[in-house]
Parts: sequence; C-alpha cells; structure tokens
Amino acid sequence: MPKKEENKTAFIGFWQGLLDDWMAVLTRPNIETYIRLKERATSPKIVLNIALLGLVIGLYVLTIQPPAFIQTDSLLLDLGRLIFYTEADFFILSLILFVIAGLLGGTGGFVEHSYLLSLITAPLGLVIVAFLFVANKLGLTLAAIMNPLSSIGITTIFIVLFGLYAFLLLLFALEAAHEMESHQVIYTIGAVLGSWGILRVIAMFAAGEDNIITQESAFLAEEWARGTLQQAILGHLWMVAFSVFIAVVIGVVMGVLITMPPKRPSVSHLFFLIPLGVFFLIWAAPKGWLGMGIADPIMEVSDTLDIGLTRAAKGFFGPLLSLLSAIVRKPAAVGMIGVILTVILYALLLAGESASELTLYIAGIILTIPSIALFGVFIGPFSIGAFNAVVALTLYAQLPILRNTYTGIKEVKPEIVEAGRGMGMTEFQLLRNVKIPIATPVIMAGVRVSVVMLVGIAAIASYIGNDTLGDYIFHGIQRVQPLRYYAGAITVAVFALSMDYFLGWLQNRLTPEGLKGRR
Amino acid sequence: MIKLEHVTKIYPGTTSPAVDDLSFTVPTGEICTIVGPSGCGKTTTMKMVNRLIEPTDGEIYVLNERGEMQNVLEMDPIILRRNIGYVIQQIGLFPHRTILQNMGTVPKLLEWDNTRIRSRAEELLDMMNMPHEFLDRYPHELSGGQRQRIGVARAMASDPPVMLMDEPFGAIDPINRNLLQNEFLRLQQEIKKTILFVTHDIDEAIKMGDKIAILNANGQLEQYDSPAKILSEPANEFIEDFVGADRTLKQLNLIRVEEVMDKKPFLLQSTQSVEEALKAMDEKGQDYAYVVDSDRRLQGYVSRKDLKGKSGWIDEYTTTAATSLPITMNLRDALSEMLMVDYSTICVVDNRDRVRGTVNTAMVQEALMETHSSERREEV
Repeated sequence: MPKKEENKTAFIGFWQGLLDDWMAVLTRPNIETYIRLKERATSPKIVLNIALLGLVIGLYVLTIQPPAFIQTDSLLLDLGRLIFYTEADFFILSLILFVIAGLLGGTGGFVEHSYLLSLITAPLGLVIVAFLFVANKLGLTLAAIMNPLSSIGITTIFIVLFGLYAFLLLLFALEAAHEMESHQVIYTIGAVLGSWGILRVIAMFAAGEDNIITQESAFLAEEWARGTLQQAILGHLWMVAFSVFIAVVIGVVMGVLITMPPKRPSVSHLFFLIPLGVFFLIWAAPKGWLGMGIADPIMEVSDTLDIGLTRAAKGFFGPLLSLLSAIVRKPAAVGMIGVILTVILYALLLAGESASELTLYIAGIILTIPSIALFGVFIGPFSIGAFNAVVALTLYAQLPILRNTYTGIKEVKPEIVEAGRGMGMTEFQLLRNVKIPIATPVIMAGVRVSVVMLVGIAAIASYIGNDTLGDYIFHGIQRVQPLRYYAGAITVAVFALSMDYFLGWLQNRLTPEGLKGRR
Repeated sequence: MIKLEHVTKIYPGTTSPAVDDLSFTVPTGEICTIVGPSGCGKTTTMKMVNRLIEPTDGEIYVLNERGEMQNVLEMDPIILRRNIGYVIQQIGLFPHRTILQNMGTVPKLLEWDNTRIRSRAEELLDMMNMPHEFLDRYPHELSGGQRQRIGVARAMASDPPVMLMDEPFGAIDPINRNLLQNEFLRLQQEIKKTILFVTHDIDEAIKMGDKIAILNANGQLEQYDSPAKILSEPANEFIEDFVGADRTLKQLNLIRVEEVMDKKPFLLQSTQSVEEALKAMDEKGQDYAYVVDSDRRLQGYVSRKDLKGKSGWIDEYTTTAATSLPITMNLRDALSEMLMVDYSTICVVDNRDRVRGTVNTAMVQEALMETHSSERREEV
C-alpha cells in the first residue's frame, strides 16, 4: 500500500475511533464501557475533543451574538480565543473534580479522568449548542424555552431528562476513572456543588447583593441582636425538653407494664391509694368540694410557688421556670391529670400484656388528631397557655416512646429472659438488668422520633399563646411578612435536625457496648 | 439428690397431663438424663424442679448444701433458682454484658464482692480450659462452642450442688458436641454435681447419663435405670423401639477398651536383633508384632516377611503404626477405628503413649457375648 494511502487509512481510522468512543459513551453507559474507554486515553485526544466543542461554541456565539464576542479584527483570532477559553474552562473544572476525587480516595490518573470527562462534555455540549441554535433560529429566547408554562414548555422536560442523563454519565465516568464506590462519587460531586454554593453566598454578601438570602440573614441578625430570637429558641427548647422528659417517664413505664403478665389485685397494690389520694386532694380542694379549710392552704402554696418561679424566670432556665409556674398555677388541673394517670397506670398493671393492643391502638389514635384540634380541645379544661401546650405535647410524644419500649422489650430473645429468670432474677431485676438495657437502642430511637416530631408541633403551640419559634411563623403569616415566617421555618428545621443529631449521638452512647458490634 | 414424688403437670386449658405421676430419685453426684419423644414433658419435668413451671400435683425435694432434703414447693422460687445451676440449649448469655458479668450473674445476685466474683470466674475459665482474656469480651465475640462452655460455667458460678441442663449441647455441630460432652464428663469427675440433663438424643442420654429416665408421649415414665440396664433389659416394647434396633451396638458405648483388651500382649523390644525377633514370632505363631522402646512407648510394627533373611536390629525394619487407641476410648469408637484400618490387632496406649495392651475384633465380640450371657443368667 502506498504511503499516502496508508496515511489516509490511519487518518480515517483515527476519526472513526473518536466517533466510536463518543457513541459508546452516549449509548452504552455502564462501568465496563467506561473502564474500556479509559485504556485509550491520551492527552491530545482530550484537547481535540474539547477543541471541537470550542470550535462549535465559537461559531455559534459569533453568529448569534457577534457584538458581545468580537474583540479583534480577525474572526479567526476571535474563534481561537473562544476555543482557548473552552479548553481552559474544561481543564479547570476537570482539575477541581480530580483534586476532590483524589481527596475522597480516588486513584485514577488525570489523563484518564479528563479523557472520560471530555468524552461526555464534547458530544453533550454539541447537542446543547445545536438545540440552542435551532431555538434561536425559531426566534425563541432561553427564558421561553426554560419556562414550563409557555407553549413550548414541553422542552423543559427534555432539558431535565438531558440533565439527568448527563449527571448519570458523569457518575459513571468518575466511578470508572477512579475505581470509587458510588457514594464516594456522590460526595465528590456534592463537594463541588457545595463549595460552589458557599463561594456563591460569600460573593453575594461581598457584593452587597439584595436578594432573599441576604435579606433573610439581615432579618435574623436583627432579631438576634434584639434578643427575641434567643428567647423564642429557649422557649421552644424548654417546651420540647420538658414535655419529652415527662413523656419518657410515663411512656417507658406504660410500655413496660404492657409487656408484663396480667396480675391479680393484691394487698400491696393499696400503695396506689397514696398518689390517688394526694392527687384527688389537689384536684378537689381548689374546686371547693372539700370546703374552704383545705382549699385555702393549697391555693396559698400554689400562689407562693407561682410568684417565686415567675420572679426567678430569667436567663437560660427562664422559660423552664415559667413553664413550671404555669403548672403550679393550676393545681386542680394537675390533680385531675394525676388521678387519671394513677388510674390508668394501675389498670395497666393489672391488665398487663392483655391491654397491649388496646393501649397501642389508643396511643395511635391520639397521634392522628391534628395538633391544632388537640390544643383547641384542651382550651376547655386548661384554657390557653403553656399548661395546655405541655399536656398536648406530652400526649403526642407518648406514642413513639410507648410503642418502642413495648417492641424493644418484646424483641429481647426469650432464651435470654428465661436464662435470667432461671438463675433467680426477680421480675424487677430482669427488667432493670436485662430487658431494658437490651431494649435501650430501640427505646432511644422512639425518643428521637418523639423529639423531632415535638419540635415541629411545639411551633404550632404558639397558636394558643406560648412563646416558641412558632411565633415567627404565625406572626409572619398574619402580617404577610415572608422574612418573618421564613425565619421561623428555617430555625425550626435547623433545631429539629440538630436535636436529631444530638439524640443520635446520645443513642449511641447509651447503647450497651456488647450490643454495638452486632447486626 | 433430686427426688420427684408423684409429680403431675396439667397445663391450664388441657385435660391430658403433660407429665403424669412421675417419681424417681437422682442420687447425689450423678447425672440423670431425661429422654423421650418430643412433647413428652421432659423439659416441663426439668423446669418444675426450679419452679419455672409449677407442678399441679406431687412433691419435689432437693438436697441442699447443708445436707437437708428441702421441699422446693415450700421455698421462695427466687432463692431456690439461685441455688440451682441452669443451662439451656440456646445458652441465653446476656449480649450486653461481658463474659465476666455473665458468669457473675448469680454471685452478684447473692451479693458476693467483686474480687471474689472475678477470682471465681477465673477459676471457672481454668476449669473450661479457656484463657482469662475472655473475661472482658462480649458474647458475640466468641464462637458457638466457647459460648456454650461459658453457659455451663455461668451455671456453676455459685457452685450449686444441683444443676439442670436442657439440651445444653443441642445447638452445637456434631464434632464440637462430642468434644464438649467429653469435656463435661471429665469435669463431672471432679465436681460431682447432681444433674438433671434433658436431651432428645438417646445416644447422648446413654453417653452422659449415670441414670436414664425415658418418658413416653403421654408424659409417663416408662423406665428409669442405668444405661446398661436400659440397653440390655428394655422394660417393654416402647423402650425397645425408642432405644433402637442397634441397641446391642449402643452397649459398646458403655464398655471401655481397657475392660476387654489383652493386658499381656506379645511385644518386641526395639533393641532386639532380627534373629531373636524371628524366633519369638515363631514361638508365638505370629506374622506381625508391635515394637516398643524401653519405656514401652510404641515404635511401630514388624512383619515376618520384612525380617526374613535380614540381620541387625529390628528397629531398622519397623513400620510406623497407622493408629493406636487411647485407653479410655469406648468400644464403639474403637470398633469403628478397627474397621477403618486393615490391622487385625490394634495397640491400646495410655496418655503417655505407653502400650498397655492390644485389642482385636474378636475381643469386642467376646465382650458383647458376655453381656448377653449375663443377661440370660439373670433371667434364669
């Protein structure tokens, strides 16, 4: 074969190979394809791929928007400059991805990495340019194409699908180039986007842009400076913490009771008469049922405590003390709840396991009541304010804790319980030393769910006149101040997430060491 | 001693008893295995002794440390259980507690101080041939066999005179089970506990039991006797069926090689010359002979064919023996070894590898014949 002929064949073979690689990338996106393509990576090919894209982009912008891009007299020079920019942009982006992938455990070389990226970027870029060119020729602006409500809104769907496809190809490329796990690839891309976002926000503030983010930040800063934000956060925190604390005590006791075998009434149960009597006294006396002789001292104690607590209600523990004072201010309501609770607990003690289904069912129903309705219902007996909120929130927090205590204890393997019992543990020792420690992770998971849920519901408690972050939401809606209700929503969300994180840590700490290595 | 008198258990909501009028006595320091088809009430019987299940009728007595017979039904069940070791099939180690804490469960309930609990736990690990490092590990870090040993050790922690074991080796693979059984039997030689041992496996019952109680599906006691008696004189058809058609073979489990071996075997010294050896073999009419050193340690064997026409010392012509039997081995295992190798006679050695005798299949057969003839004599 003559030399010229040979050169020609090699030339055609080269372009054919390049085109094959493009087609392979687009039509057979899987790890095997990409790993195979990686073998053929060379630096000139990368430059060539991007140069082709740059050439088309250059031709496009120079024909569509000449005035913005023509800087020199020579068209060729301008074209060359645009190709160079495309190359530069590509290599900078590729380098950033490469560095981050390397930090996250990527092992691939820069050439393989860039080659795979260029194989994706070039054909997809060409498709985009072609798309824009056609749209332009049809007289459509970019805004019209992107608007899903316009007559050509259907194209938005294609654009979204196209973007997803590109993202998928990028995942494969990074995974193949660096032999990484999928989650590392996601972290890599996430890190790029995250750092871009942070830089963008910094730039936003540096440039003094006036948009929703800077406005919201200014609003939050202002509220913080006035001290109202801290007050709302503290109010929210103590509201949730106090309710969850009571819910944990009652929920765990009830959850334990409904795992026990039923009991016959015995003389020792007369002990229940003590709390029952005390609570009844507190309930009945202020109502005047027992005569003024008993009512007065109780009211007096209540008043003294209330005044003391209200006076002390300052600083970090301020909202907690206010809550307590709201509780002691209503001795009759406390007495009534105490009587009801004592009766329920005694009933559960007698019924034991046979009441488990009914109890969980009722607790489940309580959870389905909309929180606003429950607050509303309790306005009758408890009027508005912190007392009402605490009762309702405690009721809500009950279910996940109750249910998880029950399942956690039920899930303890029967042979473990039998071994304990056979070695002479009393039922109480079995509970304290075996069942509850083993159930702790499950119980804590319930507490975690309760807390996150309560953070949300406590915001609604501001509806019945309680100082929580919900104030921002309600006032914002009433006064049509978006900045105000965004502030409420953002702080509640951050609050819920950080509580969940904290409780996750606590759950891990409380899980017995021997249970950690398993499962 | 554990004594059951007319013990009956009828579960609420059923009419037929799970355990029906059961009476037997386990002598102090012996293992009594309870065996029977599934659902025969063997576990129920065992659990009535520590009152995890309350008997409907009858009396149960246990001999306490002070040598008094105590009616368990009159005791506080919590106190009773703390004084009876308890091992179950699934072991039931507490996963959230270390091995030390697990073994210290009962001592802790008995309010021992921590140093005493620790030293007792170390003692128990020594007994089980396990290293002390295990004390600070968690159950999930141990293998199944190790966990089972800890389960047994935990039951012995407060040194109770009586132990209840519910299929303790049931969940272990056959090789480890055999090992654990042998270990436990060796341990029992030292600790001499009174043990009620529930199993569904008749072979295990025969191997482990000094006495066997066989229950039928209705919870009635069919026979209570020593393993040898159960095998040689089954009380009725049920027992015969339950023990199985190979009961003669099972009897071999109960006889040790030591009891049947030829205690004065024909042996050659490795220092003997070929001539002497050939002469000795001619005299005894043997084609093969085992060779030992001056300490009676087994060196191997020589054959007449190898020695013929040779001179010098016989140790030059000695072939290593493929196998030898430990003196404590039971005849059943010995027989299976014999059938596996092609030797007519196998050496029996003690734990220092010294030849104590030889055994062959004819001797095994003879031993079996003897047990049968003794049965017949008793019948007459």
